[in-house]
Amino acid sequence: MNGIARSLMTTFSTFLRKPVTRDYPNVHKPLPKTDRAFPLLLWDHDVDEPFCTGCHACERACPVECMTVLMKDNPNHKSLGGDSSRRKIIDKFWIDYARCMRCNICVEVCNFEAISMNNTWTGHETSVYDRRDLTMDLQQLLSQSRAGQIDEWVPVIGQANEDPAAAAKAE
Amino acid sequence: MVATPEVGPPGVGHPEAEFQTQDLLLNVGPQHPSTHGVFRMVLQVDGEVVRDVIPYIGYLHRGAEKLCETMDYRQGIGFMDRTEYLAAFNAELSYVMAVEKLAEIEVPERAQWIRMILCEMNRLSSHFMFMGAFGIDVGVFATPFIYAWKEREQLIDLFEEVSGDRMMYAYFRPGGLAWDVPANFKQRVREVLESTKVGIKDFDGLLTTNEIFRARTQGVGYISAEDAIDWGMSGPSIRASGVNIDVRKDEPYMFYDQIDFNVPTRTEGDVYARYACRMDEMWESVRIIEQCLEKMPDYGPIMPEKMPRMLRTPPGEVYLRTEAPRGEYGIYLVSEGGNRPYRLKVRSACLSNLQALKDMSVGHYMADAIIVLGSIDIVLSEVDR
Amino acid sequence: MNVDLFGGSVNVWLDAFIRLQLIVLLMTVVVMGYTYLERKIVARFNQRVGPQKTGPFGLLQAVADALKLVGKEDLRPRSADPWTFELGPYFVFIPVLMGFVIVPFMADWNIRLLELGLIYFVAVSGLSIIGWVMAGWGSDNRYALLGALRAVAQGISYELPLVLSVIALAMFAGTYNLGLIVEQQDQVPYIVWQPMTAMIFFIAALAELNRAPFDIPVGESEVAGGPFIEYSGIRWSMFQLAEYAAIFVMSIVFSSIFLGGYIWPFGEELGVGFQLLLTGAKALLFFFVIVWIRVSVPRLRIDQLMAYSWKVLLPLTLAQVMVNGLVLVNGWSEVVLLVTGLIGCAALVMITSRAVVRPRMPAMRTAPAMQGEAA
Repeated sequence: MNGIARSLMTTFSTFLRKPVTRDYPNVHKPLPKTDRAFPLLLWDHDVDEPFCTGCHACERACPVECMTVLMKDNPNHKSLGGDSSRRKIIDKFWIDYARCMRCNICVEVCNFEAISMNNTWTGHETSVYDRRDLTMDLQQLLSQSRAGQIDEWVPVIGQANEDPAAAAKAE
Repeated sequence: MVATPEVGPPGVGHPEAEFQTQDLLLNVGPQHPSTHGVFRMVLQVDGEVVRDVIPYIGYLHRGAEKLCETMDYRQGIGFMDRTEYLAAFNAELSYVMAVEKLAEIEVPERAQWIRMILCEMNRLSSHFMFMGAFGIDVGVFATPFIYAWKEREQLIDLFEEVSGDRMMYAYFRPGGLAWDVPANFKQRVREVLESTKVGIKDFDGLLTTNEIFRARTQGVGYISAEDAIDWGMSGPSIRASGVNIDVRKDEPYMFYDQIDFNVPTRTEGDVYARYACRMDEMWESVRIIEQCLEKMPDYGPIMPEKMPRMLRTPPGEVYLRTEAPRGEYGIYLVSEGGNRPYRLKVRSACLSNLQALKDMSVGHYMADAIIVLGSIDIVLSEVDR
Repeated sequence: MNVDLFGGSVNVWLDAFIRLQLIVLLMTVVVMGYTYLERKIVARFNQRVGPQKTGPFGLLQAVADALKLVGKEDLRPRSADPWTFELGPYFVFIPVLMGFVIVPFMADWNIRLLELGLIYFVAVSGLSIIGWVMAGWGSDNRYALLGALRAVAQGISYELPLVLSVIALAMFAGTYNLGLIVEQQDQVPYIVWQPMTAMIFFIAALAELNRAPFDIPVGESEVAGGPFIEYSGIRWSMFQLAEYAAIFVMSIVFSSIFLGGYIWPFGEELGVGFQLLLTGAKALLFFFVIVWIRVSVPRLRIDQLMAYSWKVLLPLTLAQVMVNGLVLVNGWSEVVLLVTGLIGCAALVMITSRAVVRPRMPAMRTAPAMQGEAA
């Protein structure tokens, strides 16, 4: 019976350890910067408009075809008296969070660093009562970045960490 | 072969017995606490003894292979994750290595080491899942599952820091990795390994020497080495029957030939041997990871210098196999030129292992059939794709 | 005829009725407390916390569960046999309640201390097996039938060691009256003189309660609930209530006959309230050990279980009865019992360790070939 006694002692030893439960939703686990929840669009605070120009690159690259993109002429362009250098700007943008598989390809192919994966808890807590509410439109996608509530992480594909020794030698 | 009685349909009975009985057809349905996914098997039981096992698969078929024909090589990685969600790094690895072999891309050294570490950690987390589910099958209430989840949580947190996602990583790319690991990667891996060692010891103490556990699992679900080879089994399930095959040793890929590790093999071929093989493999994985951490360069490129934006492979075909936690996971890739595979076939380890279920469980009690199914360690997404 | 109740003098029937109602009330509260405690203790064994949100420290969890179960739709399968399906839960539940009659909670406080208390107890606790069969067969479900048959086989197999160990103890104590047994233990609890009897009683009690490692009738990972599959809502909860009530009554009986009940170690001078607390503490200890065993050991298969009862527990219990008889007839000192008891415990442990042999493969009957021999 000493095998059974060993099992009993093992469970008793875990009885004495501190519980590992986190009291969600009062306490949230700190998310790493590289966390990859659903995508959102980024806001250019310098010229007060989205980075996205509606070039369709992400729409074509998406494996599950969850995006719909429409562009328009930018009324804020320099030639029309504004201060932006973007000739076209995004007009309508829908992402269906129910289809998105969070593969990060849209972020990789974007030429303007205009889309990024949400690395905050808001990106994970997207429960709705009706599935149709999961299709996010442009204002919903922009709102978090526009309010300055995101510290986005847009990776450069294939870029290795900088070696401090090599960097010191280069200087 | 195990002497399988020729069973008739239920209701025929056994006229030469003293009294007429009728076999019971018991449906261990797709929704069941212990079928490890949506798997249905119909057991023909005589009292409590199993006479026949009729498995039904396909409940989780999502057409992954066909879908990948419409995806280029980067888009397909997300689908390969989902064909084996418990060991997603190993699934991605096979696919990515197949593409690299076809396109003759050379992967930088640091990326290979990181891939090795992540794949071995994924082996750890997959075997923890096995331990948890197996403990529940054997009857311990809740404890092994929660122990497994406690340890998996550490591992998955680390995977989240590295790749961004807890389960569907989409981190490997043909050529290397998508982005580099965080700066404190080595230290984090060492922390997680320390916690994992405590977890493995907990499981050892809980299950391995327990007399009731051994009484339930020893002598149950025996399959001989010849039968296992005939059915095409691989992985810990066949190593428990005495056949010492392991892709990491037979056809070493990445840097497995530079690492010193053993491949645990047993000769009993029963459920306990399969469990013990996986337990030993967890310790071996810890050894491998520690050695890789020593040998991994701290800095270096993770993708080759000139990777095209859209990868195109020359026409040709390739079959590449790696050692996933469940067995030999192979990818057969046919390319016609262009950026999509013409045909992608996944040689699924679990499907081949599952074929032996009838051989292993006929003649045992119904409770044992459940344990045998648990010991093969299937994940239905790989069986059905 | 009038008897004394709390200082007043009431009709004997009314007195019995009031006592029964009090016990039922106590049992309901205790059972709800047990469901909460089990979840908390199991959680702590898993390094979790257990119920926290419903009420302070999750104390109202049992109330929430009860409310949820009451609100569920009461399903009855169309092909279920109406009488057995309806009456199954009652036949499981009522014998457990009847077992509370002879249990002494405090000095002078119980329902009725029968002279044949222990015999009454084992007789009544065996009745609930009928309820399991009724539930299992009446559900018209193969899983339920399998679970019910397993429960019957297990229940009957483990009745014998249970009854014989009770008889061995009663031989030693000289009476079946639980109140007298408790009072005789004010210096030394009976577990000292009858260690092997206590161990066998404990194991047989685990099997009678259908608790791990003997919970194959309710094997959650296999038959997914056993005979209770087709019951929903409050009728299902009657089975759970019966299980916890049975644990409660078994724990008090065990602590009364082996651990000294409300008397040991403080003696009779202790106040009434403290006696109740002592009884409760011993019952809680029994419950803790039961939950501890549940989270640590796998479950036995039905053939291993029955082999264990018939081949290991029964001979040892018979040996204990004979040893008791020899000691009592010859008037030897009780230390002989202690020594033989410890040897018996060691024998039980060793046999259990050795019992891990390869199970015999069941003989496979060859079936006729399919062609041309259909019956």
